[in-house]
Amino acid sequence: MSDLEAWRAKAAAWCESMVPAFGKAARKGLSVEDDLALGRRYQKAKFDAGFAGINWPVDLGGQGLGHIEKITFEAEEMKHGFPNVYFGISLGMPVPVLMQFGPDRDFVKERVLKALQGEEIWCQLFSEPSGGTDLAGLRTRAETDGNGWKVNGQKVWTSWAQYSDYGVIVVRTDPTVAKHKGLTYFWVDMKAPGVTVRPIKLAGGDSHVNEVFFDDVKISDDHRMSPVGGGFAVALATLMIERYVATDSAGFGPHLDLFVDLAKEVRLNGRPAIEDGRIRQQIARNYAMRAGLDSINVRARRMMEAGMTPGPEGSLNKLVAVRSRQKLSELALDLQGAGGFAFDEHASPKDDWASSWINAPTGRIAGGSDETLLNTIAERILGLPQDHRPDKGIPFNQIPA
Amino acid sequence: MSILYDEGQQAIATESRRALEARVSKDELLPLLQTQGAYHQPFWTTAKEQGWTALALPEAHGGLALGLIELGLIAHQAGRTLSGAPFLTSSFGAAKAIELYGSDEQKARWLPGLASGETIGAIAFAAGPDPLPAEPAVTLTGDRLTGIAGAVSGGLSADVAVVLASGPALVLVDLTGVERTAVDSFDNSRCIADLSFADTPTETLATGEAARAAALHILALQAVVTAHEQTGGAEVLMEIARDYAVTRKAFGQPIGAFQSIKHRIAELYGLVELARANCIHAASREGQADFITAAAAARLSATEAYDTAARDCVQIHGGIGVTWEIGLHLHMRRARSLALEQGSSFFWEDVLVDRLAGDEA
Repeated sequence: MSDLEAWRAKAAAWCESMVPAFGKAARKGLSVEDDLALGRRYQKAKFDAGFAGINWPVDLGGQGLGHIEKITFEAEEMKHGFPNVYFGISLGMPVPVLMQFGPDRDFVKERVLKALQGEEIWCQLFSEPSGGTDLAGLRTRAETDGNGWKVNGQKVWTSWAQYSDYGVIVVRTDPTVAKHKGLTYFWVDMKAPGVTVRPIKLAGGDSHVNEVFFDDVKISDDHRMSPVGGGFAVALATLMIERYVATDSAGFGPHLDLFVDLAKEVRLNGRPAIEDGRIRQQIARNYAMRAGLDSINVRARRMMEAGMTPGPEGSLNKLVAVRSRQKLSELALDLQGAGGFAFDEHASPKDDWASSWINAPTGRIAGGSDETLLNTIAERILGLPQDHRPDKGIPFNQIPA
Repeated sequence: MSILYDEGQQAIATESRRALEARVSKDELLPLLQTQGAYHQPFWTTAKEQGWTALALPEAHGGLALGLIELGLIAHQAGRTLSGAPFLTSSFGAAKAIELYGSDEQKARWLPGLASGETIGAIAFAAGPDPLPAEPAVTLTGDRLTGIAGAVSGGLSADVAVVLASGPALVLVDLTGVERTAVDSFDNSRCIADLSFADTPTETLATGEAARAAALHILALQAVVTAHEQTGGAEVLMEIARDYAVTRKAFGQPIGAFQSIKHRIAELYGLVELARANCIHAASREGQADFITAAAAARLSATEAYDTAARDCVQIHGGIGVTWEIGLHLHMRRARSLALEQGSSFFWEDVLVDRLAGDEA
C-alpha cells in the first residue's frame, strides 16, 4: 500500500467511526443552532484526530502535509454528510489568507487555532449589492479616522456571517484612481459596534447567506492585510487559495446511480422508464460527461502526487457538473410525475432530487457564475480577448453609475 | 483509474504529429472527395514507415507489442491532420480479431502483413443501421458466405475482412476475388464499399454468443481508436476557431471579444477536454472488466465533441467557413463519417445504459 493509500484508509476509518455521533442520522431534525453546535464538536474531533488544516503549517496547528492528502481526506469525508458546512468558507479562504497576510503573528496563531477547532468562524466580505463578478467595482468605503479607519457600506451574499466572529473585507480607500487601484484589504471584528448582519432567505428555504451593513465601523490600522491601495492583489490571492479542493462530478447533487435506480422503479407508458430511449440517452450522456470529469480529476491528483501542477482543465468541473446536475434533477422530477411534488426543506441536495433542483441555481452563480467561468476559460486558457470594458482605466468616481 | 502519459508515450505524440503535419495537407485531401476508390497514399506510407501499423500487434508476428494508449495517441494526431485513409483503425480491428480469436496458423498467415501495412484489413459487422445485428446480413452455409455486407469502411482496398455472419458466427474472409461496389459517399477517402459474397470460403473465429461478444469487443477497441481521432479533430477545430476569432475583426474589435463567440469556443474546450479524458481512461482500461463501459463513454463524448466543433468552427468563420477552398468541410465530413463508423451514438448509448442498469455483465 502506498503512503497515500494508507492515508486514505486511515481517513476512511476515522470518518466511518464518526458516523454515529455526527452522521446524517445524528443530524436529522436538529435546528440550525443545534446543528452548528454539533458541527463545532465535529470540527474539534477532526482537529484532535489530526485531520484539520491538513496542508497547513505545523506551527499554526496544521498537519504540514500536501494538497493531495487534503483532497484525499475531503473525498472520504464528503461521503458521510457531516456538519462541516459552517467551516467550509472560514477554513477555505479567510483563515488561510490571514495566515499568509496577517500582520500580527501572535494574533494570527491564536485565531488559526481557534478556527481549526471550530471555536471561531470567519467570513469573507467581498460581494456587494452593486456587483459580485465585478469585484473591483465595490463601493463600501474606508476613510482614515485618526490613526485608523472608518468603514461605511454594505456587503451581501456573505456565507455564515450570522455565526462569524471575524471577517476579511475589501473596501475602497481611494475613489479617485482606477477601480482596481483604490482598494485595501482588512480583517474586521464581526461583533464590533456598527456591524449589522441580516440573513437572506434563499429559494430553497435556508438562510446561510447574509447582508452585512457597516455604519461608521472603526478599525485600527493593524487590521490592514495589504498595502493601502493594494487590496485587489490580496483579494485575488484569496480566490486562488482554494484551487485544490475535492471536486464532485455530480456537482454536489445526487449520484447518477440514484437516477438509474429511479428509472428502474418508475414506469413510463407502461414500461420501466429505464427502457425509454429518452431516459436512456440522458443517462448515457450524463455518464459520459461525469466520467470525463472523474478522469480529469484523477489525472489532476496523479499530477500532484508526481509533484506537477495539474492542467487548467480542472476548471471545467464546476461549470459542467452543476449545470448538468440542474437538468438531471429536473428530469428526475419529471420521471416521478405527480409524485415529484413532495418537498422536504431539510433534505440534502446530495440525495434528494427536489432539493438538488431548487438549490442548483446557487451552485451556478456562487463562486464564479457559468458566464464568468466561460470568460475565464476563454481568456486565460485559450487566449481570447477580454470583453469591452468601458470602465477600464477611468477613475472610480468618474465611472457612470 | 486514469493515467498520465509517460515520456515514451509523449514522444510518440510529438513525433507522429511532426510526421503527419509534414506529409498531409488539405490541398491533397480535397480532390479525394470527388474521386472514388482513392485514398491519400502519403498518409498510409507514413503510417507504414513509422511503424504505426505494427504498434499494437504482438511481437511474435511483427508487431511492436504496444497497446491502445499508444495507438490512441497516433489516432489523435491523425484526427488533427485528417487521416487520409481508414486503415489505421480497420486493419487494427481485423488484426485484433485474428490475434484474439484466430488459430496460430491464421495469425502466422495474416498478422505479419497487417503489421507491416502491406495487408489491409476491414471489419464487416453491420446490417443497415445496426452495427451489431442480431440477424447479420450475410448468410453462412457450412463455411461458405453469401450476401452483401454493406458500407464497409476500407472495404474497397482491404485484403482480408472479419465478418459477422448468420449463426451468428465471426468469420475470416480472404477478399481476393470478392466483388466490391464503391459507395459514393460524402467522405470518399474512407474507401467505403459493399462487399458481395457468393459462396465465398471462410474460416471461423467464433460462433454463437461468443461471436457476438467478440464482435462487440472488436468494435469497442476500434471505437476507442476512433474516439481519439475524433478528439484530435475536435481539438484542432477549436484551435482554428480560436485563431480566427483573435484575428478577424468586426465593429472595431476581434470577434473573439464578443461573448457569443468566446463562450462558444470555451464550450468547445470543455467538450474536447472531457472527450480527451474519457479517451485516456478508456485506453488504459483495455483488458479490464469495465472496458466496454469506458469505451462507450469515450465514444459518446468524442462524437459530440467533433460534431459540435465542426458545426461551431464553420459558424464562427461565417461565409468563408463554407467555401470549398478553406476545407473546414473536410472536418464536417470526417466528423460525420467517424460518427457512423464503429456504431452511432444511439448504439453506444444503449451499450452503456445496459451496463449501468445491470442488464449486461
